Amino acid sequence: MLTRLLALLLPQWRRALAGMVLGVLVIAANVALLALSGWFIAAMALSGHGGPRLEYFTPAAAIRGLAILRTMGRYGERVQTHDTTLRLLARLRVWLYERLVPLAPAGLARYRDGDLLNRLRADVDSLESVYLRLVLPMGVAALTIPLLALATAWFSGRAGGVVLAGLILAGFGVPMALARLTRRFDRTLPQRRGAYAADLTDLTRGYPEWLVDGALPRLAARAEANAMAAQMLERRLAWSNALGNGAGALILGGMLVAVLFALAVPVTQGRLDGPGLAMAALLVLGSFEAVAALPASLKARAELRGAAARIFDLTDAPPPVAEPAHPAPPPSRFDIEAQALTLGYEPDQPPIITGLTFSVPQGTCLAITGPSGAGKTSVLSALEGFWPLRGGRLTIGGTGLAALPSATLRELITVVPQAPYLFNTTIRENLLLAAPGADGSALWRALDEAALGDEVRAMPAGLETRVGEQGAALSGGQRRRLALARAFLRPRPILLLDEPTEGLDSATEHAVLAALARLCQGRTCLLTTHRQAPLRLATAVLELPAP
Amino acid sequence: MTTHAAPLDAAESRRLGGWLRARASAARGRLVGAMAGAALSGLLLGPQAWLLAEVVDGVLTHHQPLGAQAPRLWALLGVFAARAALGTVAEGLAQEAALAVRAGLRGQMLAKLTRLGPHAMAAYPSGRLSTLLTEGLTRLDPFYAAYLPQAVMAAFVPLALLTMVFPADWVTGLIMLLSAPLLPLFMIVVGKGAEALNKRSWQRLGLLSAHLFDVIAGLATLRRLDASALQARIVADVSEDYRRGVMAVLRVAFLSALVLEFFATLSIAMVAVYVGFRLYYGGMAFLPGFFVLLLAPEFYRPLRAMGAQHHARMEALAAAEDITALLATPEPARSTGLRLSGPVREVRLEAVSFSYQPAQPVLNNLSLTLRPGERVGLLGKTGSGKSTLIKLLLGLESPTGGRVTINGQDLRAIDLASWVSRVAWLPQTPTLCAGSLAEILRLSHPAAPDSALLAALRQAGADDILARLPHGLHTRLGEHGAGLSGGQIRRLALARALLKPAALYVFDEPEASLDRTLIGHINALSAELARTHAVLMVAHRPEAVAGFDRVLHLSGGQIC
Repeated sequence: MLTRLLALLLPQWRRALAGMVLGVLVIAANVALLALSGWFIAAMALSGHGGPRLEYFTPAAAIRGLAILRTMGRYGERVQTHDTTLRLLARLRVWLYERLVPLAPAGLARYRDGDLLNRLRADVDSLESVYLRLVLPMGVAALTIPLLALATAWFSGRAGGVVLAGLILAGFGVPMALARLTRRFDRTLPQRRGAYAADLTDLTRGYPEWLVDGALPRLAARAEANAMAAQMLERRLAWSNALGNGAGALILGGMLVAVLFALAVPVTQGRLDGPGLAMAALLVLGSFEAVAALPASLKARAELRGAAARIFDLTDAPPPVAEPAHPAPPPSRFDIEAQALTLGYEPDQPPIITGLTFSVPQGTCLAITGPSGAGKTSVLSALEGFWPLRGGRLTIGGTGLAALPSATLRELITVVPQAPYLFNTTIRENLLLAAPGADGSALWRALDEAALGDEVRAMPAGLETRVGEQGAALSGGQRRRLALARAFLRPRPILLLDEPTEGLDSATEHAVLAALARLCQGRTCLLTTHRQAPLRLATAVLELPAP
Repeated sequence: MTTHAAPLDAAESRRLGGWLRARASAARGRLVGAMAGAALSGLLLGPQAWLLAEVVDGVLTHHQPLGAQAPRLWALLGVFAARAALGTVAEGLAQEAALAVRAGLRGQMLAKLTRLGPHAMAAYPSGRLSTLLTEGLTRLDPFYAAYLPQAVMAAFVPLALLTMVFPADWVTGLIMLLSAPLLPLFMIVVGKGAEALNKRSWQRLGLLSAHLFDVIAGLATLRRLDASALQARIVADVSEDYRRGVMAVLRVAFLSALVLEFFATLSIAMVAVYVGFRLYYGGMAFLPGFFVLLLAPEFYRPLRAMGAQHHARMEALAAAEDITALLATPEPARSTGLRLSGPVREVRLEAVSFSYQPAQPVLNNLSLTLRPGERVGLLGKTGSGKSTLIKLLLGLESPTGGRVTINGQDLRAIDLASWVSRVAWLPQTPTLCAGSLAEILRLSHPAAPDSALLAALRQAGADDILARLPHGLHTRLGEHGAGLSGGQIRRLALARALLKPAALYVFDEPEASLDRTLIGHINALSAELARTHAVLMVAHRPEAVAGFDRVLHLSGGQIC
């Protein structure tokens, strides 16, 4: 999962690497600052006690220079790495969006549930931090550790080996061993948390029922019991992590002591003087910083892996309706024929429509009526290419629907959906989606056709009025007419109207139907309705039986 | 960058900060232990630095071989071991403290949910409460596990180290003492400016996330309008705009960190250069000089670490805002009045009116009487107020005019629990909770023996469902009835309703499920029930209430 995620980030590898190099520079500058300071004061002390005279301006200036280098490097690192993260974020979002397009709407139906959408949101947020939390700290540590070991090896080969082993053990070994030891928590803890979350969902969803049954305290107690069980696991996990961090700290301390023991030989042989020893000691002490970020980063790995798995699971799903392998040319006629049509949402559930046959000759209008749940909307969805057929045949101008690529279908069909979706932007932007190049007068004409023009003119911001989240600033009737205006902006040979006048008062209904009558003129039209008035657009009526 | 909560204003964040700190009293012992451990570990920095300085001093000044320092090196290892152990204890206790606070709050919140009432519950969007009681609560953890201990350490450790530095070299001590307040000062000065910038960038991040999910939610519409490819470019453009905007903010915001970093690092460099020259001119001995140099980075470390905790605090404050809002939600006035006892002889709606919004009455001056031994059918179109009438009858809503009486007593004066325990209700879309079949059924009657469960299932016509379950009553069913059809879920819910020893049975639109046999079944069942109980069946098709004693029509908020 993580390798696939990293593959997505590959195009940004130069920036990613630049951030790591700056990270290495920051640590190196700090270690060098400490080591040089140690050497400097030791050498100055020797010099002051009658030792060799010291040219002190250069080291003193170098110390100040390193302090500035570290500070500037840190700033540069933060700017660079955050910029990289934001670039990856943009890439990830476009990638996710493009993957989701062919799945909509049938493949995303379960995300209508608020919980799952929130989960998806949190996962996208997590993935956006993959560079900052995982790739960067690991990369910086992997580059810095050999560098520090080499620097120590300059004093003594054995000391260099100790530093290499110590840093790898404290930075990677302990967190990885910890991850292995606590692996069972990766399974049991989400289970317990999931049970608690499910209890909460139960409690909130059926609230009035539980209240009447007097079951609320019992359900709350059950949720508490599951939460407590999760918490016991968390407690053990917390202590394991604390022990791991303690072990890491002990290893680093032991590493310093072991280096000092290793340096005894060169000191005795006179190859290493006092200032050298001070320098080596501070070098090792400063190198602790190189692995400080790793335990958190290894912990983030598990979380990111889960988030990546869920996202790939979603994006890897095959589209509900596959694009044809051998696309047929766009049909030249627009008669619609259905023969023995069978439709259903889930394969393991009974079909919604079985063996339906109808035909809509070009230029006529068929009204589909019937009780709710009879599958009126499903017929329109199938025609749009959003749902696969379970059986039978559906053709446009004699061409099977399965042979028509979705781009062709879009060019053939305009839809006024039952619950039109409005984007949280202006009325103008919402209309322009249907006709990207349309000018103001075209938009107003469409609004007038949809009997919405006067109301929009009365709004202080006119076309620039923001419609709010999912069009919340408009009334239900206004939302529907805005969707109608989109259809007027985007006339196509086939028109699908799903309950076009639902929620409109009779005067508005009258105006809208008059406009629709003009729009239907010469087009092949399918309309569903449970009201009487729209039936006058129809040249034929098909009543679906109750399921 | 994982949350999209907008920063709070100063007064609000002070109030919430105070609230968060007050919650810490639930885990005072553990927090004190954590802080004591961390403080002790901080104090041991002194011996650690001193031992290391002595080792180097031995070689440098006294020309001893390093081997002669072995006892000091072992002692140094001991100090490291002690600090590792103390660190482990401090971290573990801090985490435990966070868990303890969370457990206490969770208990309060769960109890609050049970008292909140259906009205306030419905005001929360789906999933909000679950998220608040899960992720919302865990977002408080870093406040207790990291922020609070760190804040104490940032005050304590530098002071403790100063008391060791001053005896060794008072000039270095003075450099540290004078530079230390500069750090928090700059943190505040630069932080204030960054806060405003930060606020804007949070808002933008929220907008960006909202944009992506707005687009995802409207994907079907985009496909219909053939605008999905265009929108991909817009997603890219919006993200790019966001990057430019945020980077402009971050470049400034990171300056505060830069200043902090600069002062801390430069102070270390100053100490090194200053000590160096003192040593050069023989102003001090090497041992104390090296000792203070070793302590210099440790002196600034906790102050710098505080900066990193800012985010943890912001997250906790945002979560605290939602949590306090939930806990402060007013609960419906609960009558502690009389408990209903004896048989239910009569249930009346007396000239009842109800409206969710003023001037839009759902029910208007409506009267209805239910008695044991009678089956009443209520017909009406969707939206005619049938479900509202049931809510009033159950006491889930209170009428805005008129009254509901049980045996002549106003329902508002009756202890609600004692009334609803007498009502069995099959809602339009019943809910099954997770659990075994027996657990699900017993929700309405915990003391029911297995034989009663089996009888209820048989009565509900659900014995065929039971027959197919591998472990009978003890089979765990999927979450929210996963794997069961809508009709099966309704049968199990019916069995749950029948299990309850009730005086009044209310069935809400049983024909809405696409299951004709169930409609007939419930009709026959209700005839049986109505011999000794009151039955109200709400429906929108006449065949569902065929053969009922009385059939009423609800229209325009009135019975006609």
